[in-house]
Order: sequence, then structure tokens, then C-alpha cells
Amino acid sequence: MATQQKKLYALMGKKKYGFSLPLTETIRIGKRKYKILIKEDEKHGTYVLWKNRRYPVEILQSRQNKFEILLNYVSYSFTIETPFSLKRKQYLSKEMGQVEEEKILAPMPGKIIEVLVREGTEINRGEPLLILEAMKMQNEINCPVNGIVTAVNVKPEVNVVKDDVMLEIRISQ
Amino acid sequence: MKINNILIANRGEIAVRIISTARRMGIKTSVIKTSAEPAAMYLSLADNVYDNTENVSEIPVFLDIERIIKIALDTGADAIHPGYGFLAENPYFAQKCVDNKIAFIGPSPDSIYKMGNKTLARKIALANNIPMTIGSDGKIPSENEAVRIARRIGYPVIIKAASGGGGRGMRIVSKEEDMPNMFRLASNEAEKAFSDPSVFIEKYIENPKHIEFQILGDTKGNIIHLGERECSVQRKHQKLLEEAPSIALDDQLRKEMGQMAVRIASAVGYYSAGTVEFLFDSEGAYYFMEMNTRIQVEHPVTELITGIDMIEEQIRIAEGKELRYSQKDIKFNGWAIECRINAEDVQSGFSPSPGKIEQIIMPSGDNIRVDSGVQAGSVIAANFDSMIAKLIVYGKDRKDALANCKQALDKVWIKGTKTTLPFFRMLIRNPRFLDGSITTSFIENELTSYHVNSEYEEMLAAWLATWLFVEENLDESNLKINFEEAKNISPWLLNKRISRH
Amino acid sequence: MDIDGKYYKAYKKRLKMLEQQQSKEKVKKQHDKGKLTARERLDLLLDEGSFEEVDAFVVPDTLGIEFGKVEKYFGDGVIAGHGKINGRLVFTYAQDFTIMGGSLGIVHANKIAKIQEMALKMGAPIIALIDSGGARIQEGIASLSGYATIFNNIIRSSGIIPQIAVIMGPAAGGAVYSPALMDFVFMTSYTSYMFVTGPNVVKEVLNEDVSFEELGGAEVHAKKSGVAHFIYDDEENTILGLKKFLSYIPSNNVENPPTVEETGKTPDINNKLLDIVPDDPNKAYDVKEVINNIVDKGSFFEISELYAQSLVTGFARLDGRTIGIIANQPKVLAGVLDINSSVKGARFIRFCDAFNIPLLTFEDVPGFLPGIDQEHSGIIRHGAKLLYAYSEASVPKITIILRKSYGGAYIVMNSKNLGGDFNFAWPTAEIAVMGPEGAVAILYRKELAEAEDPDKLKAELVKKYRERIANPFVANEKGFIDEVIDPSQTRKKLKTAFKALTNKWVEIPSRKHGNIPL
Repeated sequence: MATQQKKLYALMGKKKYGFSLPLTETIRIGKRKYKILIKEDEKHGTYVLWKNRRYPVEILQSRQNKFEILLNYVSYSFTIETPFSLKRKQYLSKEMGQVEEEKILAPMPGKIIEVLVREGTEINRGEPLLILEAMKMQNEINCPVNGIVTAVNVKPEVNVVKDDVMLEIRISQ
Repeated sequence: MKINNILIANRGEIAVRIISTARRMGIKTSVIKTSAEPAAMYLSLADNVYDNTENVSEIPVFLDIERIIKIALDTGADAIHPGYGFLAENPYFAQKCVDNKIAFIGPSPDSIYKMGNKTLARKIALANNIPMTIGSDGKIPSENEAVRIARRIGYPVIIKAASGGGGRGMRIVSKEEDMPNMFRLASNEAEKAFSDPSVFIEKYIENPKHIEFQILGDTKGNIIHLGERECSVQRKHQKLLEEAPSIALDDQLRKEMGQMAVRIASAVGYYSAGTVEFLFDSEGAYYFMEMNTRIQVEHPVTELITGIDMIEEQIRIAEGKELRYSQKDIKFNGWAIECRINAEDVQSGFSPSPGKIEQIIMPSGDNIRVDSGVQAGSVIAANFDSMIAKLIVYGKDRKDALANCKQALDKVWIKGTKTTLPFFRMLIRNPRFLDGSITTSFIENELTSYHVNSEYEEMLAAWLATWLFVEENLDESNLKINFEEAKNISPWLLNKRISRH
Repeated sequence: MDIDGKYYKAYKKRLKMLEQQQSKEKVKKQHDKGKLTARERLDLLLDEGSFEEVDAFVVPDTLGIEFGKVEKYFGDGVIAGHGKINGRLVFTYAQDFTIMGGSLGIVHANKIAKIQEMALKMGAPIIALIDSGGARIQEGIASLSGYATIFNNIIRSSGIIPQIAVIMGPAAGGAVYSPALMDFVFMTSYTSYMFVTGPNVVKEVLNEDVSFEELGGAEVHAKKSGVAHFIYDDEENTILGLKKFLSYIPSNNVENPPTVEETGKTPDINNKLLDIVPDDPNKAYDVKEVINNIVDKGSFFEISELYAQSLVTGFARLDGRTIGIIANQPKVLAGVLDINSSVKGARFIRFCDAFNIPLLTFEDVPGFLPGIDQEHSGIIRHGAKLLYAYSEASVPKITIILRKSYGGAYIVMNSKNLGGDFNFAWPTAEIAVMGPEGAVAILYRKELAEAEDPDKLKAELVKKYRERIANPFVANEKGFIDEVIDPSQTRKKLKTAFKALTNKWVEIPSRKHGNIPL
């Protein structure tokens, strides 16, 4: 495949960055090219040297073509696409509409204190869904979308671990 | 009475902070080792470590009053510093110390009780003519009562835990239909956090600044204030950045509010360090909110502009000594800013992000102070708070301090957990923050993104993701598959495999 | 040779016709569905220039067609041949949806059968890229018999060469049994479907409305039915995943899996392992963290990741050599064994055993899932499959008990007397007939009922039970645990242990075949 693909795209939401293959270890800004060096040492851990600056970097997730990267403390989630898979994505999103379902994952391990919605509850973006106690705090988990609760997988006093699917919400437009 | 050996009934950065002053004063310190973090940094700095790792109890040790008293007696401590948190504001604990002839480094049980009970505190403030928001006269027994009172006060209102503080158990209610639900939530949270479900209601001041006065009092009845701190950068009542002084106050107002703070402290015969919190509205009016009867997380900004070591004063006061300063001795120099660098994921609403600190490098210099209880290898555990370090920066004026802060933030290096750094890097570039006009609703109401957005860094991250994909999938030279070695099978095994099939 | 000669010209002309057969319109139509063509897929799959096609010019058998019409295209809707993947010989066929919907006629079937037989003779893996409308109705019974031939060949080759199906379009009706009989099934999300009866029939018979995706999409098969072992978002990633997967398995049941040099570095002594399992036995953790801190860096490749998640199965490498990992997942339902996880584990173990892949078991299991539903659905039968598979497997087998190991689940998870070669335990292990609370409640029921402070007595008894019974040291003293090991040294221990087991051979009584409780 290496020889067959000419270009790859890193996609994050609506943002798209194209890179020609073979991938060079430089990024061009305007007319200048800046060399990228990936390094590791005891004192700093893994880091990237770029434009005369040291950037801390951690790979939080790497799964198939999905990567979550923490660069300079900000996390970025990219999927890597080929020209064809990009076209396929456009076709599929046209065919099937937008992502219909939102899963509410536990952001950290903790205990459910209260569930404020039931199956069928209509809910708006920003409204509280449940209370999760962790790190001595009662954290209100708010709804990231407008929609209808389709599944409630937790109840009070239940312990959850990170990334457990607590609720599922069907997104309405 | 001279204090010789302090048991620090706390952990993390505040334990480290107390040890450093105690050591300078020639006082021995004892700390408690827990099974939750047996390798914590504060343990390595104290003179004496009490090993509590074998103790199996439902109650975590720093919440276990009887246990702490027993440890104090066992270690021969003549004083206990509770740091901030549960024990610091528990009148029963303070009384227990007194009963066991251990000096409690903090105010009297009576002042803790009076100020800790928010409905009582309101009554005292009212009796002393301290400006206050209108609110319920006492605890509210039921949802219906809450609805009735809120209707009288007028929305928006805020529900607060009667025995609370620090934002827990607080709910803002802007319309009547939300009241029953919010009332239950607040009461539930208050019960969880403070073992007391009672709550009260106040008029909610929209878009106020949070301004608090540091006070110091001795057992002889002398009370002074050390000026104000502004803590308007907060999210859901959790402070993120504090500064001293506040850009909103002039000398006249500072003097007036300082006097109010001293007045209410005097009303309860207050001694040791304490903080009187005010809401400050857009018209310049201020309202007494509550008094915290302990050392605060953000005390270093006051220390930097006054030059007074507050822990040292607390210890001296607990020894029964008279205050070394009168109000006129207190001079304010320069500007100080504190950023709370927490293990939190700002991109998913500041949710805790526990983990192991792999590397940590904090900036240093004349204008920088770092209070931290972690080092490389420390674990930010899910059962404690998420503080990694406080970065405190000084400047000759606000502009200078902001510039120093921006520089210092860029020098922080922390690997292993997500942190609030991207938030501060955004904030330090935000014009509303820079001009000093923000209020406590700034984060929730005005920001659409809680982190710095750098186009170049995003591009670099995109490149990295692509590079990882290529390394993992397309670069065949990376996957060195060897089919030949696989054929190298001992004849013993090979013959048997072949003969079976 | 006379290059102007008429035979040579005819040969060139046929090549041209074959090329032109795939018209631009047909390619566009396939692309517009988000799908690649059969040839494009083969290009992605095989090393550049390595594909050798057979039977490119066969034409459909139109003799005796009484109903409808069959278009005469070369190849009859399937491309077959052999090629190389990372330098290794594989046989493969790719159904071509652009030719008569990839429908299966007798010539199409015979072509596949030919490749299957060659793969078996050569001892090479076979990969099926499936994108077919199903049986060719026009050819009637001949088409059905074609399926039977293919199924027969799969079963004949089963356990001798790896057989892998990649579903990249529809697979419906009887056709689904071809992937079902093979060892592993890959699916591409949103554009592949598998079902025995389609939405139209479901609607007709049961009057239920269901979409293709809901009935037999990749996600359904990955999460609910367990039919698909791997799913990917697009075809390129499906094929990349398949190629990565192949690096773990041997070409046949006589050879060993290939070795792959470790690129990263997992330390032999790894202190991170000390922090993962919580002291509190009721707290969950992710067993994959344990796995990833032991095996070669980045080498863990999970199988059926989304199905029966309370049991984790997958390949990994230790010192460059493939091992099969079975691990209870405390993060999901406390790692309990239920029907689905038992079956998932059993099938994985049997693949590993057939293809000389040593087994490593990580155990932290509270027991079998209780309940009417499980009992009535046959947890007895299905749990027995896991037991059978473990015992039957003659490859090297090592177990590490991380924490809980209670009752029947202890026995099943490759216990010593079931045939474990090395049974290790971490000091955190709790091995007993049942958990402390349950045991105390049964053994001291009377005392507890009469006690002044039953909670206090219970706590004392639980403590005593842990000290006297539910720990790894008792099992160690009795020889059911070979060694209690320091968690940080696990990788080092395993490397040595698997090395010692390299030439393991178990004589098995001669028989036609065992009778696994299916």
C-alpha cells in the first residue's frame, strides 16, 4: 500500500490536513519548511522539536486509523484518510445523515450518585444528565447534544470505570 | 506556650508548605502515610512519618477525627495543623484538640462553628451591619418552602449548603420549574460533602466579582487584614486563578471592605488566619458571602505582596503570641497571580484526569514561586483532589505580573496526565481577562472554548497522527516479519506434528 | 515466435477485452457506493506485482438456462489466484460485484473450489474477499451445488490452513455459511451485510421493519452476534488490519507462526505492573493494561473486541513469537464468564491449538454469571465448551492468576489439573471455592445469626478466610500454583517459561474426533 497511496489526510471534525507520501519530516509554513524531530529523554519523556521549541507529546489513543494526541497539553483526535476513504466518508454521511447517536462515556472512574434522566427524556445541550462522584467531587455530566435518551445503562451507587457507556442519546436536529 | 512538634493532618502541597515554614522555625513535623499514596512527596520532607497504611477503616484517615487525635498523641505532637479541608473547618475536631491539650493551629471551635454555619453567620453579619444579599432566614425544610422563598426573593437565586464551602452543594436557579430538582440536588450534595443536608437560599448576584479579604487575628483581640484577593476566575465555584490585589478596588474601597472584614471577624472573637469573602457587583456594591476559618489554597498571593508568611503567623498565634503587625504596618507591594495547575481535562469540561506524573519540570526564578506536593513518579489518585502544583508569579504591577505569568506558563513541563495548562495559556491571552473586567460567570458564559487554539500546533498534531499511521501501517520496513525462523522446528516436534496429521 | 501471428493477436485481443470489461461506468457505480472494485482490493491486499491470476477467461455456463438471462463476461464475477503478502504465499479470491452483482454460478463456484484445493495442497492461507448478491437464480440448483462444494472444501481445510473471509459487500442466504465456516471474519462498516434472511423476508414473515444495517451490518455482527471478529471503518483499513493480523499466524498447521522483531521495548522488569490491580477486590481495572505492559510493545491484537467483552481474546508477541491471550476483563461485568464469553474463548483456544500458537491466560474471574436467563439458555453446555477447549489444547499453556479465581471458573480457566503447563499467581491472587463473603455466610450461618454484632463477626471471619484459604500461598503449598511471582517480573518469567515449553508434545489417544459439547 505504501507505494500505492500518494496522499493521506488527517481529519478532525471539519478540519482537514493533507500530506503527500512518502511523508517528509517537515511542515511547510508559507515558504519555509520546518524540520520535525521526535525525541525522547529521561527528563522530558517523549517530545517534538519544531521551530526551535520543545513540545510535550503523548499518544493517548491509537486505534486503527484513529489517533488521539496530546500536544502541548491540548488533545487532538484525528482519523487518517486516503483520498478514497475521504470520498467514501462524504458519500456515507450523505447517505446515512449525520452521526445519529451520542454515547455518554464515563470521563473518569467513579460512582454514580444520581441519574437525572430516564429512557425517553428529551434533553437539550448543556442540561445535566447525571452526577458522577470522583476525586471527592460530584461532577455533573452535561448533555453535549440535543436529543432523546435511548438507553440508561447506570443507576445510583453503581461504580463506573473510564469510558463506560453510561447513557445513549439519539441526536435530534 | 512554645510549639515543638506539629502533626500535619493533611497531604499534598499544603503539607509540604507547612513543613517548609515549620522547619525554618525549628519546629519538628509529623505527617501521616496512607495506603492511597505511600510514596507521596510530603512524606520525604517531614521529620517523622506515622505509618497508617495498615489501618483498615471505612473512613479515610484525614476525615477521621478520633484517629487523628490518637496519632497526635502517639507521635507526641503538641500541635496539629489541619491545612485546608475537612478537619480545618470542623469545630468538633478543634474542640477535641483542646480537650487533649494539643494546640489547634487555627481559630477557636466557637468561631469555626459560628462562621461554618452559614445561616448563623448571616445572622451575625446582619447584626453587625455588614452588607448582605437578601435571603432565607434559616434552613429550608422542604421543596415547597424553597419555591415559596425564592418567589419572595425573586429569581435568580442561589441554593447553598448550610455547613458548606468551596462550591459544593451550591446551585443557581433561574426559573421556578427548576427549583424542586435543584433543591434536591443541592441538598443531596450537601449531605454527601458535609453530612448535613440543610441548605439556604440567597438572591443570586449576576456577574459579580469574587473578592476576599485575608485577615489575621491573635488571641489578645487584635485583628488586622492583609488586603484582598480577587478570585473571579472560577468555574462552578472552583477557583482556578487568583490574584492580589484586585484591579477593582481603590484604596478607599480597600480600606472600607477591609474594615468590614475585620468587623465580622471581631464579632466572633476570631483569631488565626481567616478569609472573608465578598461578592462585588458591577455597580461597585459589595455583599458579605461567607467567612472561611482556615488557611486558603490561594494564600501565597497575599504572602507575595505583603511579605508575611501566613503559616508562621498561624503558628505564632497558636502559641499565644501577640500579632507582630498593626494595620498600618501592612504595606502592599506589586502584584501576584496564582494559577492552579490541576490534573483536569479542560476539553471535556474540566473533568478530573487522574494518572501518574511521568515528568514534571516547573519554572523557577526571582518572580516565581511554586507550591507543589508532587514530583516525577507521583500518582494523582482519583480519591484525592486533582492539584498538581500552584504556579505563583510576581510582578511590579499587574501588567508585569501577567507578562511573567505568560512566560512561566510556557516553561511548565508536565507529562502523564491532562492538565489545566491549556486553559491558562488561553486565559493569559484573553483581552477580557487582561483588562481585568471579568466576573465569576466569565468561564461559563463567555468562553466558547476552554483551551488555547494554536493553528500551528494543530497542524503539527495532524502531522504526528499521519506519521504514526504511516509508521504503523504503511512502512513495511518497520514490520520485520521473519518466515524463515518459523520453519526452524525441532525434529522431535516436527516429526510428531507431521505423523499426527 | 511470430508476434504478428493470428494466435498472438487473438491473445492480445482477449487481454484487451478483459481489461475493457470493467467499464468506467461500472467502476464509478461501485465507487459511488463507497466500495472499491475487486481488482483495487487485490492491489491493496497483495505485495506489488505479486498477483498471479487463474481462470481469468472462464465464461459462465449458459447451457440449460431456462429462465432469465446470463451475461457472458470473462471470469464469471470472481477474480482468483495467488500472490504474496509481506513476502508470504497466499491464495485468494475476490468476488466482483460489477459483474452480475458478483452472483455465484457454477463456473464461479468451480473457480473458487480450484483455488481452495490449491491452497490446501500448498499449505498456504486462503483469503476470500466477499461482495456478492448470492446464488445466481438463473442457474438454479447448479448454483446451490456450487455453494456446497465450496463449503465442503472449507471444512476439509479447516484446522490445516488458515481461512479468512473479508466481507466487503452483501453476503446473504446460504452464502453466509462460507465465512461462518472459516476461521476469522473481517467486515467493513456501513457497506457490508450478512444475513440468512434479508429485511424483505423479515417484513413478509414477521411484519417487522428492519434495515440492512440493523439486521446484519458490521456493527451488529461485531457486538451482538459475534459473527464478525474484526470491523473497520473503510476498506483500506480493513485490508491493513487483515495484513497485520496475518503476521501473527502460520501458513499451516505444521509450521510455526512467523516471528516479528520487536520494534519498541517492553521492559522485562516492569514496575508499572505493580500499580494496575487495585488492592480493593471490588474495584475494576482494565486487564488490557496488564497485557500491554507484558507483551512486546504494541503487539497486542484483539479479536472480537466488541463481543462478550468480559473475556478478552487476542494475539500478541512475546520476544517476537506469537502467543494467544485469553483474559478475564474485570472492567466489564467484573470479568464474569457467561455463555457468549465461554463460546468466544473456546473458539479462540481451538484456533490457537490447531495452528501451534501457545496460550497465555490472565485470570481474574468471580465465577459464572448466575441467573435464569443464563441457566435456561444453557450456560452448562456452553461453559463446557471452554472447559473442553482448554483441556483439549496441546499447545503450551500458561496461566497467571491476577486476582480472583473462584469455584468452577477457577477450574475452567486452565487450572493445573486441567493441563496447565505453568500456573503462576500474583501475590494479589484469591483462590478458593467461593468468595469470602459467600463462604463465611454458609460456614458460619448459625454463629452469625446468634452473634451480638454480626457485622463485626463477619468482618473477622472474612479476614480469617482470606488469611487461611483465599490466597495464593495455600494453593502454592499444595502445588496447584507452581510459583507465586512478583508482578513486575511477569514478562521475564513468561519468556523463560514459554521457551522451556517450545517443544511440548502431548500424545493424544487415537480417535476419529472428540465430541465437543456443541
